[in-house]
Amino acid sequence: MNELNPTAGPIPPAIPTPPRLTKPLALGEDPADREPISGPLVAVEAILRAPRRIMYQLRQPGSGRLITAMLLVSILCSLIYGLVVGTFSQGTQLWAAPAKIAGGLLVTALICLPSLYIFTCLSGSEAKLSEIFGLVTGLLMLMTILLIGFAPVAWLFSQSTESVVWMGVLHLIFWFISTMFGLKFLDSGFSHFKAKTSAGLYIWVMVFILVAVQMTTALRPIVGKADDFFPKQKQFFLSHWNESLNAPGKPAGQ
Amino acid sequence: MNTQATTADFLPRLSARSADMFLRADPRSLYEWVVQQRTRLIWFCVGLIIVGSGTYGAAVGVWREPLQALYTGIKLPLVILLTTFGNGLLNGMLAPLLGLQVSFRQSFVLVLISFALASFVLAGFSSVALFLVWNTPPLNAMTRLSSPEYGFLQLMLAGIIATAGIIGNVRLLPLLGRWTTSRAIARRVLFVWLATNLFLGSQIAWVLRPFIWDPAGETRFIGREYLRGSFYETVFEATRRLMIKQEHDS
Repeated sequence: MNELNPTAGPIPPAIPTPPRLTKPLALGEDPADREPISGPLVAVEAILRAPRRIMYQLRQPGSGRLITAMLLVSILCSLIYGLVVGTFSQGTQLWAAPAKIAGGLLVTALICLPSLYIFTCLSGSEAKLSEIFGLVTGLLMLMTILLIGFAPVAWLFSQSTESVVWMGVLHLIFWFISTMFGLKFLDSGFSHFKAKTSAGLYIWVMVFILVAVQMTTALRPIVGKADDFFPKQKQFFLSHWNESLNAPGKPAGQ
Repeated sequence: MNTQATTADFLPRLSARSADMFLRADPRSLYEWVVQQRTRLIWFCVGLIIVGSGTYGAAVGVWREPLQALYTGIKLPLVILLTTFGNGLLNGMLAPLLGLQVSFRQSFVLVLISFALASFVLAGFSSVALFLVWNTPPLNAMTRLSSPEYGFLQLMLAGIIATAGIIGNVRLLPLLGRWTTSRAIARRVLFVWLATNLFLGSQIAWVLRPFIWDPAGETRFIGREYLRGSFYETVFEATRRLMIKQEHDS
């Protein structure tokens, strides 16, 4: 390279840029969609970089292995994030928080699955229950791997603060951001079902968020400490949040 | 004559001598370094962060005493490196989800590049900081947290770091454009990386206090009492107290 005269010599080639797509292709039209997903790690890579691969594979015969792999990744990731949540209170919460978070997520998905299937059918889609279940496991996997990304941040704050309210709010923010990305994946998958309307999906999204938030109250305490594994008193999440905000020194769930 | 030259043929091997080329932040050169000399680039950036922000930290810390200069010179690069490593996984996940097709390692290197550029700018400001510290009334028994000289140094530290950070991020934007045709995606990813790094970086900086001076006692690497509480809780509490006071006054 001539440093005194940078224009001398051959001109370097331009770096190729990917072509701009004008309209989205149907699943499988792009050869990249058809690449097989051989294991859980490939599934994680695929859902982050090429979610269409997951959507395509869910429509193929033998998608059960992929669904199982995604479910296992979701459980593992939620257990790891739960452990980080448990480091705030230490003691029994080190196993209680992972168990509650992993269990709560699975139960939330199971509770909401029938309504999603019904809404999907009502919207005119021909999607099978296994495809819907696959998309929901994809939602859970994406949510939980993003929570793992947030885990170092959550751990640092849990070691610095003593406020249950603050940690609860922080975990809820992280959960909400992760859920938004997960729901974006679900919405993207839903768009390939040839549904006439997405209204049902949007209603379901609200139902899912409400159930998940109520689950955090039903399984309290997840962040703070308590003598019992489950709360004795039943409560709506808004009243629980209100109670926690007005008593910042009191551990949640007591 | 062979005219089929690749872009890499025009790039020197990354070393201390190519620092000026790195600072120019030409997207094409940086792209080739990220793709072809990644490991070398990582070490180059880490070195630049340690030297650049360390020099600036030392210039600020010397207001109290040489030991504080040493501590701040270590802690400032530590804040940057811990933020980069702490958010590495998250930033690597968020980029493809937002449409930027970069690998985990590439996203990590990209964030590191922006911090290295900011540290380079900080190194350039070190002499200015040292001059300002030299002109500031020396620390004595009468100095308080509310003293104007302390406030001035705090503002200067924050102002220069903010300027360097903005320059580092603005320089990163054209480079992100190498991985996407959409400028909106590049901007979105940059904004999200900025937000996550700011969020974690503020708390790490909060934990690693004091950077200038600890009025509570001797010069220490980290004040034990500072490990309690968080930056955001403190800001929230201060705002709440302010609002309550205003309500009482009215």
